[in-house]
Amino acid sequence: MSHKKLSAALALAPFMLATMSSFTAPVQKPESPKATDDLPSGPMQAKATTSCLECHEARIILQQRLSKAAWAREVDKMVKWGAVVDTDDHDGLIDYLTTNFSPDKPSYEPPRSSFEKSVATQKSK
Amino acid sequence: MTTTRRDLLKQMSWAALAASMAPSPLLWSLPIPQRDTIAIPGEDGMIVRSFRFVDLETPVEYLDTWLTPVPHFFVRNHMHEPSELNASDLNAEGWRLTVGGEVEKPLTLTFADLSKLESHWVVNTLECAGNGRSLHRPQVPGIQWGKGAVSTARFSGPRLHEVLHRAGVKPRGKHVMFRGLDEVPGKVPPFIRSIPIEKALDPDTLIATHMNGAPLTKHHGFPARALVPGWIGAASCKWLTEIKILESEFVGNFMSPAYRFPNEPVKPGDAVKPEDTRPLTGLSVKSVISGPLDGASLKAGRVAIHGAAWAGEADIAKVEVSTDGGASWNPATLGHDQAHYAWRLWNYEWKAKSGDYTLLSRATDSQGRTQPATPAWNPNGYLYNATDQVKTHVA
Repeated sequence: MSHKKLSAALALAPFMLATMSSFTAPVQKPESPKATDDLPSGPMQAKATTSCLECHEARIILQQRLSKAAWAREVDKMVKWGAVVDTDDHDGLIDYLTTNFSPDKPSYEPPRSSFEKSVATQKSK
Repeated sequence: MTTTRRDLLKQMSWAALAASMAPSPLLWSLPIPQRDTIAIPGEDGMIVRSFRFVDLETPVEYLDTWLTPVPHFFVRNHMHEPSELNASDLNAEGWRLTVGGEVEKPLTLTFADLSKLESHWVVNTLECAGNGRSLHRPQVPGIQWGKGAVSTARFSGPRLHEVLHRAGVKPRGKHVMFRGLDEVPGKVPPFIRSIPIEKALDPDTLIATHMNGAPLTKHHGFPARALVPGWIGAASCKWLTEIKILESEFVGNFMSPAYRFPNEPVKPGDAVKPEDTRPLTGLSVKSVISGPLDGASLKAGRVAIHGAAWAGEADIAKVEVSTDGGASWNPATLGHDQAHYAWRLWNYEWKAKSGDYTLLSRATDSQGRTQPATPAWNPNGYLYNATDQVKTHVA
């Protein structure tokens, strides 16, 4: 087999396997990342989702690696910019962000985009 | 697979590609990897820093063409894109551009009015001020750009100078404010910035309507954006709808505290008072290695070390490459394509022997600025321009 033909066969292999497997096993959706991501689980996940993700998606948070002091500054800035955070939740939110997104955590691995037609729109939630 | 699709993209006319967002049967019939990708029409293989709102980074291996194809051109949005603008309406029927403030004759221009003005073009390397932010230590908040919030395109449209001339700037008009149609969430301050009148009147400052010969796509500011060549990307306001001549610099979040740089070097991690900062304007001198990629395993023999280098309003004078971690430097060959505000591609042929290597690149510009070995840390992580480096293993 020529190099080109081999490359083509290798390139098609996953798709041929996927087709064949549909006869033998239940069809499974590929594990594509969601257009917008979720915040990690924890006692403040629901409240952080309500407070932060009204204006932007979770990835904006997931990629940060900040100290507690820096997270406190960010939360206060966002409250000034319209984020609704109950006074009782303020410190808990900063602790949640600091616990999950501190400088010692490994970096966030972002997904890639694919060049294709999609019904997804920028403001979809 | 990816290479095949990229080769195809390279062969296509960028103008045709950017103009048509309709699925091309040729392109769509190719086996596009479905795993680990997010469908974003018109955006090919980009690093998704954020989907809502859209912030897309150009992978460093794409920084290897003098003009960046629009599907590979980085996207920086501060907020949501304007929902009322429809990029398939090439006449931008509902869009208006007003020119007011310190002028003799306020104007309201339609897209057709703008299209009647003489068009000029500028090849410009556009870089986000925060490019490389993720490389600063300690880390700072903001979009965690790697090395690819930078791209180059041929922008065209009327000169801002001509529009300002028609409106007649009064002598006390010293700054030119741009307002975009970005949709503001919550109580976030609107995206408004200003540039000094001297830069606004520069014949290379445009109201760009086209990019690489095709109408701007929505991600890049359809139907018109400011194009302030050689300056930080934020100066080139997208979805431009209002130009206002002011007596002094615009006062707002995106002029201060955002997009400012310390007047004096800062100890990493220290706070900086606003009065000790200045607004960011022109870009720094910088180079990046687009290949080999960091962590690459190579075969001994001839290896091309290549990349791009730019310097905002200055020209690139030289690029040097080190294959021994910075102990010695060798001149790289600069590519033949050049323009005042555009990057130079560069190349160095390395005779690689087996071993582990740290490869570095270092650019020097026509003003005598050279990339430093360590970056100038600042609280917002702007203008990262330390010498670039990748680690490789040669077998």
